[in-house]
Amino acid sequence: MFKRMLSKGRRLVGIGSMAAALVAAVPAMAQDKEPIVFGGSIPLSGVFAFAGVHIHAGLTDYTTWINSQGGINGHPVEYVMEDTGYEVDRSVAAFKKISGSNNVSVYYGDSTGFMKTIASELNSRGTTLMSGASFATALTDNEQYPYQFIPGPNYTQMFGIILEYIATQGKDGDMPTVAFVYSDTEFGKDPIENGKVKAAEMGIEVVEEIVTKPGSVDVSAEILKLRRVRPDFVVFHGYVLSPINEFMVQMRQMGLDTQFMGTFWSSDKLIVNKMGADADGYMGVMPYNYYDSAEGGPMLDALRAVAEKSDPDAGYRPTGYMQGWFNAMVWTEVIKRTIDAGKELTAENMAESLASIEDWDTGGIIGIPVSVQDMSFPVGRIWRVNAKEARYEPVSDWIHLD
Amino acid sequence: MRIGDAKQNYEADEAILSTSTQKIWFAFFLLVLLLFPFMVGSYLMYLGCLVGIAVISTTGLNILTGFTGLISLGQAGFMGVGGYTVAWLSMNTGLPFPVTLLLAGLLAAAIGILVGLPSLRVKGLYLAIATLAASVFLHFIFAEWESVTGGMGGLSLEPAHLFGLTFQTDFAMYFIIVPLAVLMVIGAKNVFRTRIGRAFIAIRDRDISAEILGINLLHYKLMSFALSSFYAGVAGGLFAYFFRVVTPESFPLSMSIFYLAAVIVGGMGNLLGGVLGAAFMTLIPEALKLLTAALTPFYPNAPIFMSPMLEIIFGALIVGFLIFEPHGLAEIWHRIRRFFSLWPFKN
Repeated sequence: MFKRMLSKGRRLVGIGSMAAALVAAVPAMAQDKEPIVFGGSIPLSGVFAFAGVHIHAGLTDYTTWINSQGGINGHPVEYVMEDTGYEVDRSVAAFKKISGSNNVSVYYGDSTGFMKTIASELNSRGTTLMSGASFATALTDNEQYPYQFIPGPNYTQMFGIILEYIATQGKDGDMPTVAFVYSDTEFGKDPIENGKVKAAEMGIEVVEEIVTKPGSVDVSAEILKLRRVRPDFVVFHGYVLSPINEFMVQMRQMGLDTQFMGTFWSSDKLIVNKMGADADGYMGVMPYNYYDSAEGGPMLDALRAVAEKSDPDAGYRPTGYMQGWFNAMVWTEVIKRTIDAGKELTAENMAESLASIEDWDTGGIIGIPVSVQDMSFPVGRIWRVNAKEARYEPVSDWIHLD
Repeated sequence: MRIGDAKQNYEADEAILSTSTQKIWFAFFLLVLLLFPFMVGSYLMYLGCLVGIAVISTTGLNILTGFTGLISLGQAGFMGVGGYTVAWLSMNTGLPFPVTLLLAGLLAAAIGILVGLPSLRVKGLYLAIATLAASVFLHFIFAEWESVTGGMGGLSLEPAHLFGLTFQTDFAMYFIIVPLAVLMVIGAKNVFRTRIGRAFIAIRDRDISAEILGINLLHYKLMSFALSSFYAGVAGGLFAYFFRVVTPESFPLSMSIFYLAAVIVGGMGNLLGGVLGAAFMTLIPEALKLLTAALTPFYPNAPIFMSPMLEIIFGALIVGFLIFEPHGLAEIWHRIRRFFSLWPFKN
């Protein structure tokens, strides 16, 4: 085991040297210009570490890649991060520490709690634009959070995309029925009220609403409720895995033909790996192409090449990796637009540049050109688990909400 | 050289600072606290404020658990009461911070009395569970009483203000938090020079004997709960002003455990221990990060491997204290003091 760790260590040192060599290979002109700093409060430990390590890898690899392309308008990019353990006070400490010793233009926040907490300081500093792991609807309130954006659809928009898909699945002219199952957290409750309104507007009946603790295991009573109403679709939100697996397995054992759907953080391979064949047919809304999807594009191909190079043994890269990479892509685009417009890199100017993004080609990370609306990218696609292939496959076109 | 400190009256015997050496060192400590914000950057200032809040809350818990012997896992809940009270009052009444903080402390104290009622019948683990239940109940209220607490989304509040001054930055907040922390620790120290404090200690040492000695257990146990919750309420209020946002997730159960660990690591039943424990528990995770920073230039993936390791090291340090220094940091401090009190004439 130690030998394996040691060999991995040597490999990583090798990768580190390779990264350093890549950075050194940035054209000399880039080295003359002041570096642009990407900062990050990253949860490498704690309950969100399962995603944090991949987000970190995505940000690191993107930084390597952009520097190999000459940086941003000739400015080299530095990525400075600290581990937060997914605790708000430590995330704030990391922000203060990194911002205190670097001129940070853009910053990755690890949670909604942190992004809300830091908002007043971010607004008063006026130097940094922030995005991160959060897709919280509240953060798209431009009045309160003018310098924060969502690197995809917010949770309400994810529900909107799911409901748009469900509306196309009616049989004999009837609209399908749906049940919402969500966790008793800020994360879980985020899209529910808006989701119910949207469903009512579309004529989709929400036949049941179930709230559980995140990570619950014993959900038999809740499953009996669902058996009574027999929804065509159950939409989960506010979970990573449990109790989704419990609901799916037990409801199928009862002979129900309900289809199960989830949002971003519950639509990765974890569910496939943990549930095996039982995961078959589970659907998720995802704004990015999966790493192992059949899709392609110049940026998606570059991502795969860099990922392969940085850790050849890693294999599949989870959605956290794609999300980290996409965050950094948006930052780059925003900074580039701001510099091209001859403006200073202030939060206000960068927020303006962000709002100006329209029909932006992401090179295959997202399958269609995207536009920013209300500090988010309201686009996504429904993917279904093919358990035999152990991967997600698209079952809808890309859905762009107006 | 100091060769002794003969105390010739009861006042001298009861004095908090009994020797001129102690007074000089304490004055020096206050001077350092005063100059600290002018000497450091925003990061250390932030940590200074966090330590200040932790010191107040830990001192409160130390009064209850360390001095009265009543274990509580409700400290985060009481801090939440303080935090939400301050948030609600500042949003709806515009009262200045001394008033909101006082009311936050008093409301938390009132709830602390209610939560403390079971302490008359149960103690030890049973009381811990009772206070844990109270904490869960309070958390439920924070999450569900939407019209007052803002539900799961919580409340955002304006900066603390007084006489037209706004305390918006960490620098400004430092001058609220740290003086309050010093005052509240001194206040707690004074409590233990009175009958009330001695009654708490008597209850901790043997409650039946204390009752035989004429100590009203109902009265003093509830008073201890009230006092402890008052400290937590004020700390929660400061937390709210400092972060300017409170949500139910701001006050998780792990926060109660954090403060209990701070009391144990610092030294139960010792006010200095509470202060040292709060500082230790707040600063050690940050200090351990320096280790990662030192390794990163040589080993670029150090953050990935070291971050989980740091959690283990942190846990091991706490366990180490429990095994090798059960009297906590305060005892280490006292040993150092004893060594230097006769230095260089000690063998």
